[in-house]
Amino acid sequence: MPLSRTAKETSLNWRAALAGFVCVGLPGLFVLAPLATFMLYSFWRNEDGQLVREFTLQNYAAFFGDATFLRVYAQTILLCLGATILNLIVGYIIALFIARRDARTRFGLVLVFVLPLFTSYIIKIYAIRGILGHRGVLNELLMNLGLIDHPLTVLIFSQTAIFIGLVVLYLPFAVLPIYLSIERIPPNLASASADLGGSTLDELRHIVLPLSIPGIILAGVFTFVMTFGDFATPQMVGGVDGFTFGRIVFTQFGVALNWPLGAALAIILLITAVVMVLVAALAGRWSTAR
Amino acid sequence: MNRRWHPVDVVAGLVALVAFCVIYAPLVVVGMFSVWQPVRVRGSLGLSSPNFDSYVSLAGNQEILGAVYTTLGIGAAATVIGLTLGTVFAFYYVYTTGLPRQVMQALIFLPFLLPPIITGLALLVAFRELDLTRGVATILAGHVVVVVPIIYRTILVRLTALNPSLREASLDLGASNWQTFRYILLPQLRTALIAAALLAFAVSFDETMVTLFLSGSTSTLPIRLWSMMRLGFVPDINALATLIVVAAAVTAICAGLINLRRGTPTRG
Repeated sequence: MPLSRTAKETSLNWRAALAGFVCVGLPGLFVLAPLATFMLYSFWRNEDGQLVREFTLQNYAAFFGDATFLRVYAQTILLCLGATILNLIVGYIIALFIARRDARTRFGLVLVFVLPLFTSYIIKIYAIRGILGHRGVLNELLMNLGLIDHPLTVLIFSQTAIFIGLVVLYLPFAVLPIYLSIERIPPNLASASADLGGSTLDELRHIVLPLSIPGIILAGVFTFVMTFGDFATPQMVGGVDGFTFGRIVFTQFGVALNWPLGAALAIILLITAVVMVLVAALAGRWSTAR
Repeated sequence: MNRRWHPVDVVAGLVALVAFCVIYAPLVVVGMFSVWQPVRVRGSLGLSSPNFDSYVSLAGNQEILGAVYTTLGIGAAATVIGLTLGTVFAFYYVYTTGLPRQVMQALIFLPFLLPPIITGLALLVAFRELDLTRGVATILAGHVVVVVPIIYRTILVRLTALNPSLREASLDLGASNWQTFRYILLPQLRTALIAAALLAFAVSFDETMVTLFLSGSTSTLPIRLWSMMRLGFVPDINALATLIVVAAAVTAICAGLINLRRGTPTRG
């Protein structure tokens, strides 16, 4: 008996080790190792189309020494912050509207506003381009209504076009986290507020808004990271004038074919996203600690 | 909660209505153009009479249909592999303690938290270092990396919500670990697995920003559409897009209903 017990324990230990090996090893191999390799690339350099595997900071120096890179970088941050803020405001209003309906309607409304996330991203960009185009649906509509005489040129192949595209594509990402945080607020808090003579606006200002801050922060982080990393939308509706930082990274791996520089720029993009997440987390802690 | 509409609701409702129109406009335009093709009459935009020409022409477009089949195949494979891995990882997290499971979870969630361009580029560079030719295998690997966090999270939430005494009772009564998993735990995870599978398949089917870096001569539908967009689309695309949107809507509604059905009895 004791012998078989030991045998069983040994086999269990062996199995536990195997499980650990698979469960930590696979993510390590497919997530960590590629990321580490990618970071290494950013410290290598490209010479006459050949990869030189020697440590250098020249890719990072190239970013900080190039006014165009810095300008596009700053522009992209502003653009994405703008899209994020607009989406947070509109998303909050939508989430609030949904949360104040009865249970059945709520389910339907959430579905309506989340569904666009599950419809082809590329097709939506294509359709947005068709709507905003020089002779697109929107311009034709405005001209038929007599609101404008000539097609608006600012709608497509510009920073404005990218802004519109990002707002339309990423609004659902803002609605969902905010809605979930509003829905989680215990209803008796609203009743207490009403019993104490508070108006609906008092309730929104002193109960709903402060308690939904975690949702707002999550939605903001989500929207910013997604829009900042998006290169497909700017590539398709941005044209010559609509360069964004993500698009510059993408170009290094396509037309420009300078992978080490692209890797360094992508790492800068990643660091920016991480810093934004940390800032948002700190803001969240500060707002709840108050 | 059948309260009267406060002015706040009226204003918020109007904003929601406008936002609804804006986010659905691209889908509506595509659906409309699949039946009424846009035609130019002396420079201004008009619509043809309703017809199903674009659908007929889509049925004969081997290039697009081929890409659709590739995408469905990769989606199915990524879902099956992802479900297996996601389940194993979730069990590992729930039934072990210590640092390894924390490391595992952090690594699993990373691709979900990082901008997709980073995940895509990291895999591209790694595959290049390994001298792997870009093709179905690299796309599949990328899709698994993208869908595993979604599946893992869905299963983990359900697994931690399960009553632990059922598992203990099963083991006490002499069932093996495998029997306990097969007859006690798996049936209780069924709806979570279905929901995770639907979500993973939908994500894989639409995955663009990671796949773009990993596809070679074989490409999935979004990548094929991406390269076609430079030239301007044939009308078939409107028909295809409409079908995809309808299919996605039906899938999402089913997933939602499964979730809803699961939610009701536990509350009552």
